[in-house]
Amino acid sequence: MVYILIIILSAIAQYFGPWWLMPIVCFVLCFWKTKSVKEAFGVAFAAVSTLWLALALYQNFLTQGVITLKIADLFRIPNAALLFTAVTLVGGLVAGVAGMAGYYCRAAFVPMNRS
Amino acid sequence: MKYLRAFLSLVIAGGLTYLLNRPLGVLPAVGPFFSPFTGFWQNADAPLKLPPADMKLVGLKGEVTVKYDDNGVPHVFADNDEDLYFAQGYIIARDRLWQMDFYSRVAAGRLSEIMGPLALDFDRYNRRLQLPEGAQRLAEYFLHDPISKMIAESYSAGVNAYIEQVTYKDLPIEYKILGYQPEAWSPLKTALVEMVMRKDMNARSDDYRMSNALAKHGKEVINDLFPDYPIEESPIVPTGTKWDFTPVAVPKVPEMMKATIAANLDVEAENPGIGSNNWAVHGSRTATGLPLLANDPHLGLSLPSIWYQMQLVSPTVNVYGVCVPGWPGIGIGFNKDIAWGMTNVGSDVFDFYQIQFKDKTLKEYKYDGQWRPVTMRVNEFKVKGLPTITTDTVLYTHHGPILYSEGQKPFFGDLPIGHALTWVGPVAQGNSLKALYISNRGKNYEDYQKIRPLLAAPGFNLVFASNQNDIAITSAGHFPLKWKEQGKFILDGSNPEHDWRAWIPVEHNPSVKNPTRGFVSSANQFPADKSYPYYLGWKFAPGERGIRINERLSAMQKATVDSLRLMQSDNFNIEARRILPDLLKILGGDASSKANPAYAVLTKWNLKNDPSEVGATIFERLVRELRLAIWEDDFPSKDEKTPMSLPTRDRTWELLKKQPEAKWFDDTRTPNKVETADDIVKTTFKATIDSLTAKYGPMTPATWAWGTTKSTDIKHLVPLFKSFSRMDVINGGGANIINATTDAGHGPSWRMVVQLDKTWPKAYGLYPGGQSGNPGSPLYDNMIDKWAKGELNELVFLKSKEEKHPKVVSTMKLQH
Repeated sequence: MVYILIIILSAIAQYFGPWWLMPIVCFVLCFWKTKSVKEAFGVAFAAVSTLWLALALYQNFLTQGVITLKIADLFRIPNAALLFTAVTLVGGLVAGVAGMAGYYCRAAFVPMNRS
Repeated sequence: MKYLRAFLSLVIAGGLTYLLNRPLGVLPAVGPFFSPFTGFWQNADAPLKLPPADMKLVGLKGEVTVKYDDNGVPHVFADNDEDLYFAQGYIIARDRLWQMDFYSRVAAGRLSEIMGPLALDFDRYNRRLQLPEGAQRLAEYFLHDPISKMIAESYSAGVNAYIEQVTYKDLPIEYKILGYQPEAWSPLKTALVEMVMRKDMNARSDDYRMSNALAKHGKEVINDLFPDYPIEESPIVPTGTKWDFTPVAVPKVPEMMKATIAANLDVEAENPGIGSNNWAVHGSRTATGLPLLANDPHLGLSLPSIWYQMQLVSPTVNVYGVCVPGWPGIGIGFNKDIAWGMTNVGSDVFDFYQIQFKDKTLKEYKYDGQWRPVTMRVNEFKVKGLPTITTDTVLYTHHGPILYSEGQKPFFGDLPIGHALTWVGPVAQGNSLKALYISNRGKNYEDYQKIRPLLAAPGFNLVFASNQNDIAITSAGHFPLKWKEQGKFILDGSNPEHDWRAWIPVEHNPSVKNPTRGFVSSANQFPADKSYPYYLGWKFAPGERGIRINERLSAMQKATVDSLRLMQSDNFNIEARRILPDLLKILGGDASSKANPAYAVLTKWNLKNDPSEVGATIFERLVRELRLAIWEDDFPSKDEKTPMSLPTRDRTWELLKKQPEAKWFDDTRTPNKVETADDIVKTTFKATIDSLTAKYGPMTPATWAWGTTKSTDIKHLVPLFKSFSRMDVINGGGANIINATTDAGHGPSWRMVVQLDKTWPKAYGLYPGGQSGNPGSPLYDNMIDKWAKGELNELVFLKSKEEKHPKVVSTMKLQH
């Protein structure tokens, strides 16, 4: 559920605003919905990785990969798969850490209830 | 504990986000750059781009319709001129914003702000050349005239309308990689772009190399080996044309400076790739009975391309052609009635003065028997990655800035010396925007006459044709009125007679209209023969291209678009026709040379620099090495302390033909042996084949083919961005071939052929690149392959916005 919510809400935020709205969305949703730090990090990481990878692959398909290899070459990344991996990791890591912070803040400031 | 944990996790999350939101050293801001929502993915365009959405733009007076054809060329229809130039700025910014910004930064000497310390020397040099001051002055001229003011301001407003609108997501990828934002455009920035052109065309000098040669060999030898007019030449204004003016008095040659100088001024001496061809054929020699005009300006080839195609239409104008991003109007093109094109004149407009300082404080310098004060200026650079402002102190004399003074030995007793620069860049006036305004709307020869005085620098050989069957060519520009050979050597900064004191009256510039031979042409050769009363320079581009063009046009009857198109990619080697028989005769008399398979290839070569020819590879390398082998001992061009100019190829081949016994053929570096011309040719032939074999392996038709060994690189403006470049484009040609593509990445940067017509002209053209400046667009480099093959596109020249044309693929409306 949080997974789907992060994908949808962060996609809307990133579509209209800067990329750094993404970790804020992760923070808020993990603050609100997650029950353990593992879950918080994992679900945020997974959701944003999925979103970024899917959109990157879609763009790549749509544009017939016109820029992918050029960028990979510029950063001395040997192939496209590694570039996609790097992109996925960057998005996932930022999201995961923000999710983790969301959970910890909740744990610190709001008494845990059973729901 | 839990608070600390929460706090630390927040710091990590926030810190990571913050860190990835900023450029890291040479890396771009990884977060926004990798995000598929805003990053580089968004710079990729689909093969079938969605039609652009209509736009509301503050600053427009009415509605502008922009029709894009399938090659990405915008056809802009506006209700008035203000809106037209506004739209031109807006449209070009959409495709080329980063490039125009880059050019303006080059001339402003502000590249290191975005590229870091590696660009600092380049910035220093450009500031010392006074490119920013020149631009300041040009911008004042623009704003002084109501027409050019309207153009410059409307265009700037259009560019800025785009800059205000663009978000990170749509920013050109170079901004994302280098991590900076576009600055607002202004008439000053347009002037800066023009200064880049002035520098590229005019900022070249071999004065110090000539002075070094003079010091070593004396005037008699220099007169013999460096004559002021070539042996083989076909000047722009045909020989025998009568000058229709009474020349003004030319200053007498003053006393020359006797001192020697031993400076190595680090200035580009000659660039064989900067040159161009243009010609117009009178109706008496064409199939249609009306003129044809062709132009192919050769420049450093780059991506994004230096040119951008456009059609501009308003109630006062309907013109098609190419423009330089950042520079409003159409630079080379045609309208219903006329067509025009340009090549670089290349006269000597860049001179060094030797300055004697009074003492080591460098506060005063000698001039006209007195001491004059030196002024000082500190240029400041905000270099990316450096914590403090970097400065460069420049000394000025009335001649101009001291370009070089460091590390030189004093020559006048103990007086330190420096070299001050005078060149047209910062001083020539003119108004290019108004010149283009008139040419874009030109109807006839009278309008062409009005353009000429407005073009100041760089000087252009302005070719013209009209549908009234007039053709003409003029070496337009402001040229200093010089005494004979003024500026061939370093000038004496203390002698007032060495100053530039006046300009040649522009109406005395070399010009010819409807010559009896039925065509006009230029290829950067001498504008006129020795009967021309003024001194423009002792050396112009080698004559071969001009000779070939004039031969072919003389032989042409009933010329068509196609015959001119084929001529633009003509690969015939005039130099080989001149000198190869002599070389083969020498080599044929030597058993070991004759036995070399390369000799047989040369004898069978068709004298064309076609991509498949092995003969072209051998010949081009051989003559290059031969010139060095003959001269390098006496005129060391690569010497670090006192480099000298080599005699021209023209003079060298004449020597080989007519004076094979000349002492110059002896290699003075071999004291026990006296070489003859034959010896030099034979040993150079062997060395050439050896070095070719070392580089390309044993000779085969594939590995030694000219197209492979030469090839042409078309690099991105930031050469570090290798994957944005197109390397090793296979094609024929050569520096002194009409198809002037070089391995150094120079060549025809736009090819155009226009067939004039009473009702509606037909035109063809393309350039080695694409309309989009975006490496992620299919239109980034789509014309390169066609260009390499010498093909042209038919250009879509719409009569009105109502015209239905099958090649128009989308329409965008801009409204206020």
